[in-house]
Amino acid sequence: MALLEIDHLTRRFGGVVAVDDVSMRVAEGEVRAVIGPNGAGKSTLFHLITGVLKATTGEVRFADERMTGLSAHAICQRGVSRTFQLTALFPEMSARENVRLAAQARGARRWQPYGGTPIFAAADRLGDAALERLGLTHVAHRPAGLLSHGDQRLLEVAMGLAQQPRLLLLDEPTQGLSVEETAQAVDTLASLLDDGGLTVLLVEHDMEVVFRLAHRITVLHRGAVIADDVPTAVRADPAVQSAYLGGID
Amino acid sequence: MTSWRVLLVAALILALLPLGLPLYALTLAIEALILSLFAMSLDLMVGYTRLFSFGHAAAYGLGAYTAGNLLLHTDIPVVFAVLLAGAFSGVVAIGVGWVCTLATGVSFSMLTLAFAQLLYAVAFKWTAVTGASDGLAGIPRTPGPFGLTVFQSKIGFYYLVLACLVAAFLFCRSLVASPFGAVLRGIRENEAKTRSLGYNTRRYKIAVVGIAYAFGALAGALYAAFAGFTNTELLFWLLSGQVLIMVIIGGAGTLVGPIIGAIFFLIVQQYLSSYTDSWALFFGLIFIGFVLFIPGGLLGLLSGRRSGGTI
Repeated sequence: MALLEIDHLTRRFGGVVAVDDVSMRVAEGEVRAVIGPNGAGKSTLFHLITGVLKATTGEVRFADERMTGLSAHAICQRGVSRTFQLTALFPEMSARENVRLAAQARGARRWQPYGGTPIFAAADRLGDAALERLGLTHVAHRPAGLLSHGDQRLLEVAMGLAQQPRLLLLDEPTQGLSVEETAQAVDTLASLLDDGGLTVLLVEHDMEVVFRLAHRITVLHRGAVIADDVPTAVRADPAVQSAYLGGID
Repeated sequence: MTSWRVLLVAALILALLPLGLPLYALTLAIEALILSLFAMSLDLMVGYTRLFSFGHAAAYGLGAYTAGNLLLHTDIPVVFAVLLAGAFSGVVAIGVGWVCTLATGVSFSMLTLAFAQLLYAVAFKWTAVTGASDGLAGIPRTPGPFGLTVFQSKIGFYYLVLACLVAAFLFCRSLVASPFGAVLRGIRENEAKTRSLGYNTRRYKIAVVGIAYAFGALAGALYAAFAGFTNTELLFWLLSGQVLIMVIIGGAGTLVGPIIGAIFFLIVQQYLSSYTDSWALFFGLIFIGFVLFIPGGLLGLLSGRRSGGTI
């Protein structure tokens, strides 16, 4: 039984079909990349899975439960954490407070309007561990808004990680990074994913990143799935080459 | 902790203040404390959650009219009447918050303003409850419980107001440092991200509107009991604007800032209005100066910080 099951998912914006009858399965422990040229529907697909957008038709099931129609926060509460394509942080809070707020979200007492030292301590344990796994311990006390862009991207991953998600969605984790920053971030992510235990759905258009990190790749083109296979097979697929890899081969 | 010491000294000064003040100055001091409570309640929304309410007079007026009616038509002692008025308004505010949080940003502000103007219009028409344009007059400070008459005197009432302010301050201080408060700061800085982390941000916003209205209404209720009358000005948008100015001048995003802002507002108003009728014009200039050059407000100026803090 797959952890994430997407069946005939479609989303229309007026006359435009952004996501067109997409079906896919992501197994527990898998690192899956979704690739495709700009406008292929990758981000829309993410928004549909996480409840930011509502599907026109079709459904998303997570751990055998129907997610379609649930709100974004409810889906997160069921174990789906995400990062955003454009860095989304709490800029005036320290990196540590950022991951703490993320970790605290899964606690039953996140509503408590007084005290909270034990709640914060528990959240800090998860948060600090997440910071360490992404190599951010040395900037933990700096305001998130003042971190380098590369560290900000990783901090968002750390926030997702601190929630101990069953499925982690990474929306272009190296977006906007320089070549060196990308290399560093990918090294960090690779060592994180090699540790295992994480199920990851990754949107990325940097091919190097995708082939390095993903176990399996789904290729979107104009909203529809044109390939779904292991990286070597996807690389060799002629349909993918003409649609996307074209100039690279 | 040094900030605790500063606050303790401030509380002591406020507690001893009536002993050295002439009676007319005591009136001013009571008004200052009431406005401090009012401004602090608004800052929970404006400073901590970045929910700009342009209609906080609704809370003040609602509290004032509720307390006024309780004191005029029942035998409930003034202590309980003001608390009941605050609690009642907090419950009403859950409905207000539910409607207003359907929108965000400027639309949210407009809805809060619309609600306040709605109450203002109702206050003019619902003569039986509000006394229409005459307002409610002769509101007593009903003694009790147990024959306690201390709050009927001006000095006694000063201490009641001070106790309310201190209690509200301690409550808010605990609130903003709690897990709940951390989520409010998250909403302030990035609501979409907060939602995606699994927080039902709308419920948090409705809750903070309820709390802010409850304390704002407590301030209004204290005012009604103190002045002995209410009128529709307590619901007017001008008051909503003034309390927003107090928060911003004092230092939004802090609890002490709005208190300083309210006191500053009252002092400058007294001072300027003894020279000119168009004091509001000059106060407007002061406000513009603060917005442009001192975004951290008076508290930021005093503590050497440029932007809001968490005291």
